[in-house]
Amino acid sequence: MTSQIAKRIMGILMLALTILLTSCSGVTPSLHVLEKPKNVDMIVKMNHGDFWNTVKMGAEVAAKEYNVNLTFKAPPNENDIDEQIRLVDESIHNNADAIILSASDYMKLAQVTDRAAYYKIPVISMDSEVASARIKTFVGTNNYEAGQKAAERLIKLTGTESRIGVMNFVKGAKNADEREEGFMDYVARYPGVEVVDIEYCESDEQLARKLTRKMMTEHPDLNGIVALNEVASIGTAEEIQELGYGEKVKIITFDSPAKVMELLQEGIVQGTVIQNPFNNGYLAVQLAVQVMEGIEVPDRVDTYSKLIDLDNMLWPENQKLLFPFVK
Amino acid sequence: MKIHRKRKIIQLPRIRMSFKLRSIQTIITFSFTLMTILVVVAVSFMLYNKFTKTAEENAYLNIQQIIEQVNYHLELYVKGMQDIYEVVEEQINNTPDISSPVLREQLTTLLHTREDLVSVGLFTPKGKLVLDIPNLEMRRNTLLKEQSWFESALDQPQKLSFSAPHIQNLYKGQYKWVVSLSRVIKYKDQGVTKEGILLVDVNFRTIDELSRKVSLGKRGYAYIIDDLGNIVYHPQQQLIYAGLKYENLEPVFEYAYGSYTDKSTGETRYITIRTVEPINWKIVGVAYPDEIITTQKDLNQFVFWFLLVVCAAVVVLAVFVSMKISQPLRRLEKSVQSVGQGDFSTPIQVSGAYEVVQLSKRFNFMLHRIRQLMEQIIHEQEAKRKSELDVLQSQINPHFLYNTLNSVIRLAEKGKKEEIVATITSLSKFFRISLSKGKNIITLEEELEHVRHYLIIQKIRFKNKFSYVIECEEDALACMTLKLILQPIVENAIYHGIEKMSDEGFIRIYAFVQEERLVIKISDDGLGMTRQVMDQLLVGGIRSGGSGVGVKNVNERIRLYYGKNYGLSFESELEEGTTVTITLPVEKNEAERQERGIS
Repeated sequence: MTSQIAKRIMGILMLALTILLTSCSGVTPSLHVLEKPKNVDMIVKMNHGDFWNTVKMGAEVAAKEYNVNLTFKAPPNENDIDEQIRLVDESIHNNADAIILSASDYMKLAQVTDRAAYYKIPVISMDSEVASARIKTFVGTNNYEAGQKAAERLIKLTGTESRIGVMNFVKGAKNADEREEGFMDYVARYPGVEVVDIEYCESDEQLARKLTRKMMTEHPDLNGIVALNEVASIGTAEEIQELGYGEKVKIITFDSPAKVMELLQEGIVQGTVIQNPFNNGYLAVQLAVQVMEGIEVPDRVDTYSKLIDLDNMLWPENQKLLFPFVK
Repeated sequence: MKIHRKRKIIQLPRIRMSFKLRSIQTIITFSFTLMTILVVVAVSFMLYNKFTKTAEENAYLNIQQIIEQVNYHLELYVKGMQDIYEVVEEQINNTPDISSPVLREQLTTLLHTREDLVSVGLFTPKGKLVLDIPNLEMRRNTLLKEQSWFESALDQPQKLSFSAPHIQNLYKGQYKWVVSLSRVIKYKDQGVTKEGILLVDVNFRTIDELSRKVSLGKRGYAYIIDDLGNIVYHPQQQLIYAGLKYENLEPVFEYAYGSYTDKSTGETRYITIRTVEPINWKIVGVAYPDEIITTQKDLNQFVFWFLLVVCAAVVVLAVFVSMKISQPLRRLEKSVQSVGQGDFSTPIQVSGAYEVVQLSKRFNFMLHRIRQLMEQIIHEQEAKRKSELDVLQSQINPHFLYNTLNSVIRLAEKGKKEEIVATITSLSKFFRISLSKGKNIITLEEELEHVRHYLIIQKIRFKNKFSYVIECEEDALACMTLKLILQPIVENAIYHGIEKMSDEGFIRIYAFVQEERLVIKISDDGLGMTRQVMDQLLVGGIRSGGSGVGVKNVNERIRLYYGKNYGLSFESELEEGTTVTITLPVEKNEAERQERGIS
């Protein structure tokens, strides 16, 4: 009898002890912050340019916030697809915990993406999609919508009876195709608006200039040009200015490099569609963390585009988008 | 069935456990462990609380100091800018003509001395450029008059305005983030005093870097808002504009200086606010306590391991100490067990605590006594058996029988018929009492009867060489006595005391009760003995001739049966006679003897 009571007392005391011991340790972490840092590789299209630097800045902010070791990698040029494939393979080899990929080519990056998925590395697609069903989610600008925004403003400027040229960048890159599609779909509403030429500059400024010159020679009566990315915008707008078509040929550009902003102030460029690269980078890392933590994520996360013109370029909320870096 | 069996299996260790729970070792181990652990846990709990509190306070203090320092640097920086503005203004005031190249040169030099000074510009209230340093081409579409620095300068002409950081779009070249200082000033244009707006643009980079470098833990950060609540600096400015992040500015406006805990974002955040005095900007430090107070985590781990190690150590120590204490006891127990099994010969060898040693010493002593007593008992039993055998022998003493029969023959030859009858009758009675159905204990009356018959026989045999008298007090008659104790003494008296006398001897037997003792005195007036002979008698050196049962045997038997307080004593004087005194306990009958427990 006494021994049983003694045993019971012992049991209770032991229990109390364990509770005391355990209560001293272990604080439940907030849902999103990783307890142990994880390695996330972000592979983008190009290792220079304000756009990608801003993506990187956003990604770094998120990495800091969620305890992620971020590795930022990119080929030297946007059309260097093989190098990008190699970089993804390298990340697979290094056993990254997650890969964020901005695919330079919709089709060609598909195989390596599937390979990453095979090795149980979650892939988050950012900025431009890749033809793989194995990606966890896509975060980026709604490019179709952005294309429509550009078309809307350009037609407003040129009128419903006009001839328009398109300066696209890489054929086959999903975002390029989507912007073009959005643009063309919107233009199709106006039977009087004719798209006379679509060129691909391969994100090469010189090529963009050359193609613009060619476009202007072939179609001197052109009313407007849309340039669908940063490099294409600079090349096209500068060439138009040089050729002396400034203000006569309305230009809607994409993104906000300083040169484009200058040309906007000069009146050469009438408007530019800007994305939110900072948010793209930030959200991509945030989504990667959620995927790694097993939290469900939506299939698509759109970040919205904005059309900037002379009137709204100095609004405080736009200034930070246009000039993400304090120089 | 299976269930039953299982139950049994479970119960078995329980029984063992309960047995062990009661052992000294278990009790000591458990109580010692429990006590120590309780104390350690209580103390570490208290210390832990104290430590965490201090650590928390220190962490918060640290954050406050960091923000304070940033604030201090910003104030210094802003004051420096104000000073520069005043220098520029003074130089413009002191110059009679605004277009003078000397002024331009002076201002250009000033601009060069300060790296973070971007540009100086003077504009008419209508927005026309009067003076710009460095001399750069103006951009088109500057929307100059709509910019905040221009508007606020006109709104408050006397006050130096600090704008929120913005993009400077006035001059060709880089788009730079600047903070604009502006005020309406007076200048002289070819002698004519005019009013204009003086703009000094300061690169925002210094402030940006200063704020960026603020490190409040891994995730913590600092941001700056101006007096209107516009964000001057925020590491996640884009996220806030995009609505992905939310900064609760309401309480920030209420405080100019202080700290509070904010939970509006779902997470606990520690907010510290300081105001940059001259421009009314507010620096807000945001820290995450669960991350800042890493000491708590470290401490948690430390306390956990500490307690674990202490507990383990205490358990080991407790087991050790309890073993040290209980081991000698257990050894003692084992030794006692072997004694219980009958081994009395090996003494216990137990070292250890004083008490245990003492206990084992006592035990050994006891063991020694037991052994002694056992040996004594064995010895006594042996002696008893031997004397009993002697008595048995004496019961049918052939020598005595032979002597008596001889004397009967002699009497027969002489035709002494009566004497023959008396002798034979006495002999018969003598032997009957001698045998007395195998009993050892008989009444004194019977014993006296026995010795009387013996005396009758001997008297006839020795031809009336002695006379005798047997007296007994009434209360002594019923007393019990060992049989055949008187006969050897009387025999001794006859053979050693009277036989060699020339005169007729006299033997007197007198029994009485005195002081709870039965005393029987056998006196003769024979030759008497020397002291040496007397001593020899009891040791057994001398054996009386006749019956063979010695005086020594009588003494020993009495002592064996009744103890050392009883027995024989002698008084003797040469030529005077001998008195033998037998002392026995007073025992009334057989039943009483058994009550005393002596078999």
